[in-house]
Amino acid sequence: MHTGTTNQVANPNTVVWNSPGIWITYSILTAFMHLVLLSMPWFTTSVAWTLTNVVHGVGMYFFLHTIKGTPFETSDQGKYRYSTHWEQMDSGTQFTAARKFFMTTPIVLYILASFYSKYEFTHFVINTSILLLSLLPKLPQLHGVRLFGINKY
Amino acid sequence: MKPLRNGNVIHDEPPRKRFQEDFESTPLYIAVVTYINYGIMIVFGFLRDFLRRHGFEKTHASTEASDMKDFVPLYASFESFYTRNIYNRIQDVFNRPICSVPGPVIDIVERQFSKSGWMFEYTGKVLKNVVNLGSYNYLGFAENDGPCAEASIESIEKYGVGVCSSRKEMGNLDIHVKLEKKMAEYLDVEACLTFGMGFATNSMNIPCLVSKGCLIISDGLNHASLVLGCRLSGAQIRVFKHNDMKDLESKLRDAVVYGQPRTHRPWKKILIIVEGVYSMEGSIVNLPGILELKKKYKAYVFLDEAHSIGALGSRGRGVTEYFGIHPREVDIMMGTFTKSFGAAGGYIAGSRALVEHLRYHSHSACYATSMSPPVCEQIITSLHIISSTDEGKRRIKQLADNCRMFRQGLKKLGNIVYGNDDSPVVPAMIYAPTKLGAFSREMLKRGFGVVVVGFPATPIAESRVRFCISAALTEQQLQDALDAISDISDLLQMKYSKKKIA
Repeated sequence: MHTGTTNQVANPNTVVWNSPGIWITYSILTAFMHLVLLSMPWFTTSVAWTLTNVVHGVGMYFFLHTIKGTPFETSDQGKYRYSTHWEQMDSGTQFTAARKFFMTTPIVLYILASFYSKYEFTHFVINTSILLLSLLPKLPQLHGVRLFGINKY
Repeated sequence: MKPLRNGNVIHDEPPRKRFQEDFESTPLYIAVVTYINYGIMIVFGFLRDFLRRHGFEKTHASTEASDMKDFVPLYASFESFYTRNIYNRIQDVFNRPICSVPGPVIDIVERQFSKSGWMFEYTGKVLKNVVNLGSYNYLGFAENDGPCAEASIESIEKYGVGVCSSRKEMGNLDIHVKLEKKMAEYLDVEACLTFGMGFATNSMNIPCLVSKGCLIISDGLNHASLVLGCRLSGAQIRVFKHNDMKDLESKLRDAVVYGQPRTHRPWKKILIIVEGVYSMEGSIVNLPGILELKKKYKAYVFLDEAHSIGALGSRGRGVTEYFGIHPREVDIMMGTFTKSFGAAGGYIAGSRALVEHLRYHSHSACYATSMSPPVCEQIITSLHIISSTDEGKRRIKQLADNCRMFRQGLKKLGNIVYGNDDSPVVPAMIYAPTKLGAFSREMLKRGFGVVVVGFPATPIAESRVRFCISAALTEQQLQDALDAISDISDLLQMKYSKKKIA
């Protein structure tokens, strides 16, 4: 499959999170995942919320900050081949609406998880570390940074 | 009338068609369902790739040779993720082999797909007389009998098929000169230059017109050939939103006021590149708006009439005639012979100075083999038919009637149709990638061949089926097609439109 016939951008990955209705879809899917976890009878409410936070954070880290390049060939000669999806978003422009949305969702989930786990210590430790895992790679200072050469090529 | 410089022509203004186009927005629940659709396929794609990588599942795709494992891999396997996991599943609706002339009905070689799209074999059967709703056969000149074909065969008897040289050396035949003269008369411009390949016309000639220090402002939805030509030229490229005159004006103003990026020197040239009819959106360029801006800010306009020459206008002269604009107002008119003339190749037309410059400086004119004589003869005959005979008038009228009837018919059914009411390209929205496969297969079962397009060739939430109307299709065929589309749209629930058409 080759891009470049009707898309206004050479790499559609850069604009996919600005498509109409995709934020709502993301929220619906997260809520659905939470309901699935909540419906398991052996999880208490605290565990279900913390688990939602963990799954969301790990999934977000994997899809946004680990996988590099595009799942299709683009006509920009591989400009984004070594960039993660977060770095590709809006072609690297910082502080756009989509990026703010992705900064907000881990924070919202963190607040909800902390509340529903009644601020217990173990849950706090897990939730906070997941929050850091979700937020730190998104900082503009870490744009394009690969620590210790991990995930460079 | 005397043309002034920069293509300004003073003449009595004939009445201009009112410009209208329509892109109804996606209903929200459809967008959500489409994204969930993609999400599920992506998750399963990752799962299957994981299984394939660790040997739990057999890999049918081609892989690196086993003795090259220690070398740096040639390709990133993630780049073929989409092809492996999404495209392959509906692979049978793309690349269908055709074994007849691409006229109003075609014969399709039947293929049997197995292993969810990974393997296929030819069953040996041919699906005959499938109604062709996908070929760019606007005026119906894709035929293997009739005056065009006979003239082409005679020209083979005279010239042979190959030219065996480029235009500059021994390949400039009298038939080429005749074709260029006739094309220039048809378009009502000073001169014209023809090339053997439409894609190469754009990609090889834009570098001759602009270079480093010039600015190209191109429409966002321009074809890959134009994008390639712009990149090869070395000029600065800026993109304006599709058909958005306000965006174009603001970009022109910025360009004129701020000049080149660091030095702020004025641009050597500003070239606006647009197409006549955009084949994926079915929209027509807002040419009066562009010419108004061009005159105000003293830019040049390059108009790519690949899909609109022969298909728009009461005499088939293209988008300039459609709007009632004199063709000399457009600086560079480019077009192809592949769509309405049933041949191959492209042309660039404009002032004599432009054409002479291209004749000496274009790579395509200097190094590429010139057009084959039977192809030239096909174009000359079809030009004669279009411009001087009743048959041509009948075809142009038939195309316009067919377009209107089919588009209104689709809108009445309730499908969302993009674009301008007069364009010969009719895209109807399907949205979900799985429905793409279902729609095309169901249409083929009912005897209609259609072209479906999905992500990443279109934006993620806007997969569509693109119908190309032909003058060779009869009203009965189009009505049957509309009935079939109505059945399938009910089955797939594709009737999304909220507008009520009486």
